[in-house]
Amino acid sequence: MIGVELRKQVRRLRTYIALGAMVVVPAIITTAFALGGRPHHHPGDPATAALVLFATRSGLNMPLAALSTMSPFLLVVVVALFGGETVAGEAGWGTLRYLLVRPVGRQRLLTAKLAIAGLLTVIATVLIVAVGLLAGTLAFGWHPVTIPGGIALPASTALVRLGISTLYVIWEMSGVLSFAFLLSVMTDSPIGATAGGIGLAIVSEILDGISALGSVRIGFPTHDWQAWNGLFVSPTQTSEMLRGALVQVPYVAVFLGVAWWWFGRKDILS
Amino acid sequence: MIAIIMASDVGSGTAPVILDHVTKHFGEVRAVNDLSFKVEAGHVVGLLGPNGAGKTTALRMLVGLVHPDAGHVTLFGEEVRPGTPALGKVGALIEGPAFVPHLSGRKNLDLYWKAGRKPLGDPAMEDALEVAGLGDAIERKVGGYSLGMRQRLGLAQALLGRPLLVVLDEPTNGLDPAQMREVREVVRAIAERGATVLLSSHLLAEVEQICSHVVVMDKGHLVTSGLVRDIVNSSGQAYVEVDDREHARSVLQALPTVTSVETEGAGLRVRTTGAHRGPLVAALVQAGLSVETVTTSEHLEDAFIRLVDGQAALETSAKARPQAAPSWTRPSDGDGGAAASRGNGGGQPG
Repeated sequence: MIGVELRKQVRRLRTYIALGAMVVVPAIITTAFALGGRPHHHPGDPATAALVLFATRSGLNMPLAALSTMSPFLLVVVVALFGGETVAGEAGWGTLRYLLVRPVGRQRLLTAKLAIAGLLTVIATVLIVAVGLLAGTLAFGWHPVTIPGGIALPASTALVRLGISTLYVIWEMSGVLSFAFLLSVMTDSPIGATAGGIGLAIVSEILDGISALGSVRIGFPTHDWQAWNGLFVSPTQTSEMLRGALVQVPYVAVFLGVAWWWFGRKDILS
Repeated sequence: MIAIIMASDVGSGTAPVILDHVTKHFGEVRAVNDLSFKVEAGHVVGLLGPNGAGKTTALRMLVGLVHPDAGHVTLFGEEVRPGTPALGKVGALIEGPAFVPHLSGRKNLDLYWKAGRKPLGDPAMEDALEVAGLGDAIERKVGGYSLGMRQRLGLAQALLGRPLLVVLDEPTNGLDPAQMREVREVVRAIAERGATVLLSSHLLAEVEQICSHVVVMDKGHLVTSGLVRDIVNSSGQAYVEVDDREHARSVLQALPTVTSVETEGAGLRVRTTGAHRGPLVAALVQAGLSVETVTTSEHLEDAFIRLVDGQAALETSAKARPQAAPSWTRPSDGDGGAAASRGNGGGQPG
């Protein structure tokens, strides 16, 4: 079923467009920096801003800048699309009923759909990094990575940390993916499910910006999204990454648990 | 309130289809109400009813898409649940064909079959493609297909792998007359190889031509079920042509079961209290008359409208007299609407 689902989802215009954006945007960012010169410092998260600030120092700096700028919104949109469209889209085509009559067990169907949505999420995130790395190396050469404080990380160390950061960003998307997936199971509207996934990230970001909420904010799914920046400061800071990774677990467990429970009992009327 | 199709007990057994006292609500709306019927192997059964009768809900419960609130649904003796293995013996076309629009017709059939984790030989695929009859268009994206092409592809999908039970919901929708005839021939071919067909259609002439049995529903209830010929004959009307019409009229009027005899064309329209034409023929022959023609004067469409209208009248009457205990849902109570479902193993003798 996973193979069937993969063939169905990969050959879709929306997949081409979404993954295409993950290729084009890092290339555009790289080109802009290459043509426009060094980025200027601007107020905001100092670590994130610093990663963008050093983008032109090395080809290895570029994927960090791309990941830093794309993961909070563009990647979220794409991940919500992959999660929100998968079941609801099948219902919208009317093919969901035929799959279930085939018969494909409901749990097996959800497993396959979640696996492919997850795989596409991984591909999207890896594309950002890979294209950023390739374009950055072509534009700025292969040098040690410069991190805030002007410290140079050897390329091999930077690559390992870049890999860990990529895995972290992928995992941080799991809450949004799971929520969009849950909505996709509950509704026959792919647009609604996708918008719901994006909405979760937006609401979380807004609430996270309200300092009066105090320590409650660390429980929001987006609070530690950029904590991977801690791998590119000296000394490295990983406690927020660990917390951010753990915070996703209950969201994923609850959203997917409800999705499985709901779909097992749902009357298929589409 | 059990309707009988070649069986006296729908509650057990390994018949292809058994719905046993099944009820389904959607919110406040009771879509299906205490519905029972059984379909035996090899039968071609028409599921009839006006819009909103609950036919599609019944079919959806049959294939595990909708959960009944009460009652049991079994396929080949296996209780239907989502993903139940017995569904592997079923091919279905329910509420229109549906395909992945960006894939070709062939790719859709291929992926549909592979989703079930069973190998499909080339001959089986070729059989299905022959049913679809799409030629080179089978390699084109389904998104560009006409309604008729999609319908034929849907039918082909339902027949993939030669299922033992084929459930078809409005299979001729969107087809031209020649294609409709092809579908009828396909359904007959399915029946000839021993498979069972449950077919829902608004085209009653079509059902009359290809179905051996019918189940009639209205407002979620079973109205009647049985052999098509018994349903059609249950009106108690007959058309008779003889060599001496006036002599025949006097003979027929003398029979206790005959309520009226009217001239119609070259013959006589006879109304009786029974459903059988045998006694009429016997009396005419005994009187020395030469019987040229004896037919029912109804078609399935007439019978369907009579049954559904009769059901509505019964419900109106029941609402007016709420204390009246018997209802139409009890075929053995003797109302005309359920005549054909008073089971004797195959409906009333014809």
